[in-house]
Amino acid sequence: MVKQKKWSALIAFVCLMLVFTTACSGNKDNSDGDKQTPESSKEVITDWSQEEEVTLNVFSTLANFTGEQPGWFAKVVKDKFNIKLNIIQGGLEGKLATQMASGDLGDLIVGMGGKDYTDAVKAGLLLDWTKNGMLDNYGKNMQKYAPDALEANKTQYGSGTAIYGIGHNVGTGDGPSEGATMTFGPYLRWDLYEELGRPEIKTMDDYLPVLKQMQEKQPTTESGKKVYAFSLWSDWDGDFATLPKVHAQLHGYSEGDGFNPGSLILVKADEPDIQPMLDDNSYYMKGLKFYFDANQMGLLDPDSLTQTFGDVSTKFKDGQVLFAQFPWLTTTYNTPENTADGKGFALVPFQEQQIYSSGFNPYGGGWIWSIGSKTKHPERVMAFLDWMYSPEGVMEGFNGPKGLAWDLDADGKPMLTELGQNAMYNGDTAVPDEYGGGIWNDGAGNFGKLNNTTLSTSQINPDNGEPYDFRSWTSELTRDPDPVTKSWREAMGVLTDKEWFVKNDQVAVTKAFFNGQPPADEPSDIKLKRSQVGKTIKEYSWKMMFAKDEAEFDKLKQELVKKAQGLGYDDVINWQTEQTKNTVFTLYDK
Amino acid sequence: MSASLTEASNAPRKKERFQIKNKYKLFLMAFPFLVLGFIFSYLPLFGWVYAFYDFRPGIPLSKSEFIGFHWFTAMFSNEVQRDEMIRVLRNTFAISSLGILTSVLPVIFAILLTEVRNSKFKRMVQTLTTLPNFISWVLVYSFAFMLFSVDNGFLNNLLMSLGLIDTPTNILASSNNTWLAMTLWGVWKGLGWGAIMYIAAITGIDPELYEAAKVDGASRFHQIWHVTVPGIIPTFFVLLILSIANFINNGMEQYFVFANAMNMANIEVLDLYVYNVGFTGSNFGFATAVSIMKSIVSLFLLFLANGLSKAVRGETII
Repeated sequence: MVKQKKWSALIAFVCLMLVFTTACSGNKDNSDGDKQTPESSKEVITDWSQEEEVTLNVFSTLANFTGEQPGWFAKVVKDKFNIKLNIIQGGLEGKLATQMASGDLGDLIVGMGGKDYTDAVKAGLLLDWTKNGMLDNYGKNMQKYAPDALEANKTQYGSGTAIYGIGHNVGTGDGPSEGATMTFGPYLRWDLYEELGRPEIKTMDDYLPVLKQMQEKQPTTESGKKVYAFSLWSDWDGDFATLPKVHAQLHGYSEGDGFNPGSLILVKADEPDIQPMLDDNSYYMKGLKFYFDANQMGLLDPDSLTQTFGDVSTKFKDGQVLFAQFPWLTTTYNTPENTADGKGFALVPFQEQQIYSSGFNPYGGGWIWSIGSKTKHPERVMAFLDWMYSPEGVMEGFNGPKGLAWDLDADGKPMLTELGQNAMYNGDTAVPDEYGGGIWNDGAGNFGKLNNTTLSTSQINPDNGEPYDFRSWTSELTRDPDPVTKSWREAMGVLTDKEWFVKNDQVAVTKAFFNGQPPADEPSDIKLKRSQVGKTIKEYSWKMMFAKDEAEFDKLKQELVKKAQGLGYDDVINWQTEQTKNTVFTLYDK
Repeated sequence: MSASLTEASNAPRKKERFQIKNKYKLFLMAFPFLVLGFIFSYLPLFGWVYAFYDFRPGIPLSKSEFIGFHWFTAMFSNEVQRDEMIRVLRNTFAISSLGILTSVLPVIFAILLTEVRNSKFKRMVQTLTTLPNFISWVLVYSFAFMLFSVDNGFLNNLLMSLGLIDTPTNILASSNNTWLAMTLWGVWKGLGWGAIMYIAAITGIDPELYEAAKVDGASRFHQIWHVTVPGIIPTFFVLLILSIANFINNGMEQYFVFANAMNMANIEVLDLYVYNVGFTGSNFGFATAVSIMKSIVSLFLLFLANGLSKAVRGETII
């Protein structure tokens, strides 16, 4: 009896201890995290490679990658700053919200803009660069090459005193800010298009019969897989289906005005014109009709709805797709091997096309670079970011370290090395170990896997008088082109896509807008309505594209409009339109 | 054992004075579990306050705008919105009902399995059917995609090469029979796992009962019907009541991975809806409000099932 009591008392005691130990252990981390240990209040450090190695958590809302930055870009950053970059893919659903709620966004934050950005500033999650002379000591390049962008951030988000970040794609000048290629296409398999005698294409709808003929010419790939004209994916969809929306960009419109949150209105790049997305004649609806027609003709990959971007990318690589909406889709197919055989994608514009283009923006775009307020290495993060805003940083971040893929010729002009001529067009090219090893694609990207820009790459590099984008280098434009490019250049009479659009005056360029105010706050009821309307649009869009016949297409369209209106579509449109009219459209008032 | 016995018998009497009374001792033993229950089941209820705010991640609640019952009224604010809620609830109830209907399958499976004499075969079947339970839904989907995709899917390739169909069909992007399809995936995944409990219950049945039945001349089927089935009915009912209480909680991973625009109208159960609105639409207040409604319905269902059980079998679990 006694024994039993003793044991039970012991158990009770152990249980009790368990409770208190679990209850007490939670808080320890926090108190540590709050304390900032600034690396120096001492002197300004210029050579970071001598400092101890640190790993920075890079929260990138634009990254398509998770984990430690690999390849040559990792080596560059390690050699210069003794930094390892741990990339956190912030674009995943709910990831940003979770991270925000935890109160720590990491050391470097890439591409977070809009509402999330203002919230993060409000919540004190971002570091103020004006404190402790951070910007003056470690931000020399930004002050030199992007002073307006710093100033803009200060007035827009920092109440005129604090600076919490810097916009992307900073540049000055007229005309399109894109490099040799624009952001959109359309691209066709040039070899097949040429075999057909390059039929004239006036409107988007004219692509369909041409593509049908192309498909008949090449019904299967070499490996025996079925060839489609279009292969779409749904995993990038927000408030609408992403790929039909590209129709708008091919006609000079874009979702939103580029300044306010406005995902359901299509706004013209260079005129005060707005198309609500579900208007009968909006380019979004036309896009849906286009893919519906394509599906009726057997041109649309039936897996479009269920597959992800990765699957589509593989299909492009295998040559299963004939039409590309974006230039970067074509790179997996346009390898040196394929183009040497005369097979490859090239721009085939239509006569009525007016391509949407972002103009140079000295204030910087909305994919803002910022630094987390809880970082333990503010100086080093700042120095690293500042380097990315320098000519040297842009050059190396995009084209690799000097001597690997590019070098300067006798006149001091940049040119691709032999390795570069391969690597730039075929990402699987091996990289020597002294530059980090692996393959080119490991390190390639926009600053590796960070996937954001700093200074516009079509700006002229003051160090050598050529743009940063290698496709626009004189050496590259005059280099003996591959058969596909050669044939395309002869047919079009220009050297690059951009040149063609500019020459034919088929480009709609946005103007930079800045009024010192942050973009409008989306009120809670609009937010709810927008998300529910968006969900409905997305769902019905896919149903419409894959509708059995015209009658079903029309029926679904009516259902969509009715349901969207019931969920508050009109209120959302009115609110978004009003914001655009009050801000960006004032540019046209004068 | 003997050591502690001697120690105990040697223990002096005065120790008794320090002994805690029995009821406190029992309380202290239960205490950690009460605390855990409190921490994990009651403390999170604090999160319900988010339903009354326009909460945005990162900004503390104290600085968020208080909007009262806005999100609750928004749920039923107009006809279309009401239809949405009804659609989502209909999906939830339909899939859950099918789930409950199929909950007899593990029972049947368990009985059949215990009747198998070849133990090697029995073990193999049990392992193979239990295995899917440990495969995550994401992998199940990629498996399904491999089988059923239009371009190069196994099934379509097979049917085409056999000449049974001319054009491939897209099974994953079809709005037909979504509820049934989802239930079948669930059954495939959970059959073996669900049977484990029943197999244990069957093993627990007194062998004397079978012997007695045999003496009385019962056939094998009679033994199953009159001994095995009554033996596991209590287990079945407890699990049934619990699953009714969980009626509205049919999870979300499965529906999340299988959802696409074509079947969204039929696949969007409450949890998926909450996710779509809360995370994708970044509207946590509204999502919380929907969850609260869900908890209330769940509570109601539990008491309903419990009441029914009391009326029918005279036993309750609460």
